[in-house]
Amino acid sequence: MVVITTKKPEEEVFEALNNFNAKNVLVVSCGVCAALCQTGGTEGAEEWSEKLKERGFNVTNAIVSDDVCDNREMKKDLRKIDDDVKKSDAILTLSCGLGVQSIIEVLSKTHPEIPVFTANNTEFIGMTERIGRFYMRCQGCGNCLLNETGGICPITTCAKALMNGPCGGMVDGKCEVGDYEKDCGWILIYNRLKELGRLDLFSKLRDPLDWSKIGHQREVVWR
Amino acid sequence: MTEVKTYSKLGEALAKGEFILTGELEPEKTTDLSHTIHEAKEMAPYVIAANVTDSPLGIVTINSMAATHLIQKAAGLECVWQMTVRDVNKLGIAGMIMGAHALGIRNVLSLTGDHTALGDMPESKPVFDLDSATLIKLVREMVDKGSINGNEIEAPPTLHVGAAANPNAEPMGAEILKIGRKAEAGCEFIQTQVVYDLDRTIEFLSEIKKYKVPVLLGIFPMKSYGMAKGFDTFVPGVSVPKEILAKWKSVKNEVTDKKQQKELYDQYNYDFFKPFITELRKKNLLAGIHCMAVHYPRIFPKLKDIIGN
Repeated sequence: MVVITTKKPEEEVFEALNNFNAKNVLVVSCGVCAALCQTGGTEGAEEWSEKLKERGFNVTNAIVSDDVCDNREMKKDLRKIDDDVKKSDAILTLSCGLGVQSIIEVLSKTHPEIPVFTANNTEFIGMTERIGRFYMRCQGCGNCLLNETGGICPITTCAKALMNGPCGGMVDGKCEVGDYEKDCGWILIYNRLKELGRLDLFSKLRDPLDWSKIGHQREVVWR
Repeated sequence: MTEVKTYSKLGEALAKGEFILTGELEPEKTTDLSHTIHEAKEMAPYVIAANVTDSPLGIVTINSMAATHLIQKAAGLECVWQMTVRDVNKLGIAGMIMGAHALGIRNVLSLTGDHTALGDMPESKPVFDLDSATLIKLVREMVDKGSINGNEIEAPPTLHVGAAANPNAEPMGAEILKIGRKAEAGCEFIQTQVVYDLDRTIEFLSEIKKYKVPVLLGIFPMKSYGMAKGFDTFVPGVSVPKEILAKWKSVKNEVTDKKQQKELYDQYNYDFFKPFITELRKKNLLAGIHCMAVHYPRIFPKLKDIIGN
């Protein structure tokens, strides 16, 4: 599983930093998902350090962490460079949105005054075909239907996330959204279930998603 | 045999097995419905009801529930309120269904709706909390059981709920199974997408006959060559036959007198649709016709002549 990110326009990032009058910036780069997406990793850390310096910022440090989104590891990594953290009046993360929030939570007691920014936009939970080709295949809806839909997710592959597709916007197996270039998710499901000899599953009338279970601040806490 | 409850002229005619004709009205981006009401009055003597569209192609228009109510009131024509699940969540839709009843609306057509991305407010959030099948299920729970999610409605609504079907859909098998879901959800009538291909229509209607839902065949008589060409070009998944396009083009190019042009277009529509409809009726595949040709009310006397009652 990879959280797919893309780069924000540079000016937007600098604007956010300037808006907080940041001068001394600590760069925290993700060595896993963002590295794969070429929005973080060692290269990203070096690239952003240069850019910041060119714009007159002081880079207090630039670290690459394999666990930006893991509070425990992030705590350890930041503790090691606490002197640099102290000198920083902003942290710029090259990660997904989890990285930003993980750092805020980790520093909430020791350095609550330091704002944390991101250089990236978080796109989706993605499947990697190869580097530079990432596809959304799961929206984390909390109610996995794959066992009933031939392993193809209607919430993700149907532009309307319908539970009972295809809709009238399907033409020759293609979807009305995006000018009939992308496959209709429900036709993918139909073809797959047909292949498996289980069109009875396709015929099933499905209830709407239960948003009382998935629409709020979600957490998985089992201990 | 259980007595079928009817709440509208449309429901009553379908229950009696009368062969019916419905029309279509397309309110625009306006607060003034006078043009639509005028059109409704023109078609009123010929149709049992007219559909009122809900921001087709995702292009925002006056709200279809409000328009349905106002047209019914001003034109004295019963309407089929088209409701898409695109813009409102389940909670909102349930409220609208009660509101629609209170406003005198007795028929609703359940539609998915064209995606917001296609229209003139693509930045709008697409909702699709329900889909066209689960909206039918919701209406039927509210009407038949007098409840929503099991909670009692003090004075429940009474509306007939219809579904759309697309005989042109490829693969057809998926569409047929989808109609099965809508039938299971409780749809009381079906209005099809526009058709021009007789063989395909026969195949499709024969396949969905097992669901025992009355079918109104969607047709689109073409008012002019421009209309025919535009329909062929811009409506995805529906092709106007080449011979029709050629015939309509010849009227445009070869007939200069406007009045004569109109008469010829009307006659050619009659000539094309009469055998088409007759053949399907002979095979006992239809409960009626749904004419989607908006702004062409003068064709209705001819259609009435075709269906013969």
